[in-house]
Amino acid sequence: MSTELGLAIRRKSATPASSTAIRSDTVEVAKLVDIDLCIGCKACEVACKEWNDLPAEETVNFGSYQSHQDLTPNTWDLMRFKEVELDEGELAWLIRKDSCLHCDEPGCLLACPAPGAIVQYTNGVVDFDQTKCIGCQYCIAGCPFDIPRFDTETKKVYKCTLCVDRVSAGLEPACVKSCPTGAIRYGGKAEMLDYAATKIGKLKDRGFEDAMLYDPSGVGGVHMMYLVPRGNMLADYGLPSDPQVPGTFFSALSVLRKLGTVSVWGGLLASAIFWLRTGRHRPPPEDQAVDEAYEAGRRQAEMAPRAPAPVAMSELPPDPPGGPLPGPAGSPPSGNGGGVQGPGSDPREGGEDR
Amino acid sequence: MTVLQQRVGGAGAAATIERYTFAERLLHWWVALTFIALMVSGFALGYPRLAFLSGLFGGGQTMRFLHPWIGAGFTVGVVAMLVMWARDMRFDAVDRMWRRRMRTYARSGHTGLDIGRYNAGQKGYFWFSVVLGLVLFVTGLPLWYPWLVGSGLGQAARFLHHATFLLTVGGFIVHVLLSAVVLPGTMSAMTTGRVTRAWAAWHHPRWFRERDPR
Repeated sequence: MSTELGLAIRRKSATPASSTAIRSDTVEVAKLVDIDLCIGCKACEVACKEWNDLPAEETVNFGSYQSHQDLTPNTWDLMRFKEVELDEGELAWLIRKDSCLHCDEPGCLLACPAPGAIVQYTNGVVDFDQTKCIGCQYCIAGCPFDIPRFDTETKKVYKCTLCVDRVSAGLEPACVKSCPTGAIRYGGKAEMLDYAATKIGKLKDRGFEDAMLYDPSGVGGVHMMYLVPRGNMLADYGLPSDPQVPGTFFSALSVLRKLGTVSVWGGLLASAIFWLRTGRHRPPPEDQAVDEAYEAGRRQAEMAPRAPAPVAMSELPPDPPGGPLPGPAGSPPSGNGGGVQGPGSDPREGGEDR
Repeated sequence: MTVLQQRVGGAGAAATIERYTFAERLLHWWVALTFIALMVSGFALGYPRLAFLSGLFGGGQTMRFLHPWIGAGFTVGVVAMLVMWARDMRFDAVDRMWRRRMRTYARSGHTGLDIGRYNAGQKGYFWFSVVLGLVLFVTGLPLWYPWLVGSGLGQAARFLHHATFLLTVGGFIVHVLLSAVVLPGTMSAMTTGRVTRAWAAWHHPRWFRERDPR
């Protein structure tokens, strides 16, 4: 899917300085799924497949009206069906069109490390550019609605584009166009909010006291909203009641990145200064170095009986009563100390070293 | 070879002793090269402004494929290092004295202590590399196969992987600074496998006496 559509870009993944500055599309668009009007015909599923030229997938009967069990890399729109028994012994048949909600603060985009692989336009559409996707699947972890799907063959991630190609040409998305009952509406977000306010009033008049608009603020609002008649049953619809962009994670990662930048450059600078300050430490001429090596051994041997290092002492077995402290040289390594050598050991007997 | 030794040995001495066997050098450079490849691709993956480095690995998608496999190779090297060198890297009493003289060492490159094959700083860097190398593998697994864990744990792994990576970059800078710049004569230990007698006697007196008794 090309992203060169003439739409103003709000931000791109892993692209810190992106901004269209003055330029902006004036209308923020949105879909509104009026669940009350949905009859579960799946026309939107078919329209999505047709417009986006997605291959059909073989389905199995798993005891539901639902066509596919889940979204897939080739199925970006899915009607989910669920029968729920209500308190009064009545049944409620919950049907929800499941596809990308196009968050205003998209967790997928914020998680993505590939520059430009996820694009958000100023009109609210969040689209993937598969040519830039590296297949890391961080977007899947970042999405609170479990929407993006990884294709194991192409090693890329796919989801609903909100028909950005149609929308940018002034057309409504394919699912909206195909809906026979007008359950999927499309227009400016403000317009959709107006419609929703009126409709919620009507639903309440009809006895759906919990009727609500699903436009969660934890993700900055969405560009595919739901009008939910039974707002107390969000979990049964498969909608998280309070979805959140993993904000703590993203800000922690951002702080860590900045810390890393400063530390790496600071470390290189400090290394250069250290080198300038101390220069290079060459060994002395061979004779002198060899003499010094034997001198160091003598010093170590002398130091040992008079003032054994306190740490080494603690790792030695306690003195046998009346007996002198046995020299560790030649004695088998103690159990806890392993090959720890006491300071008095003859260096030439340090058999552990090669 | 003699020319090289004379140049790096500093004392004009051609007499050398073996510091690292061929197997040890092969292992060191295996771990070094895989680490550098991982570090460069890691910067490309972790820093959007450095994403252009992915070109060195055949583009973002190929790099995403290669990075975990190079990491697996790196981990094999780290485990082999553990097997090959752990015995030499145990801390002893001299190491505690060395730590007290770290400032002297930093200033002059010499402590006068009776150091064996490795000083406490080298041992410390060994354990630092091995432990963090294994942490990188463990935190990298959920990033390789995201379906192994939930998204919450996946994000924790991503954060820890990044933080550990930064620590290893710091260690890498110090390691290269000391071995390639500040202490002449050290590089040949890992290239030709040999060091001058002067270098060995000066930096590792106890090890020198064992290898080259009078």
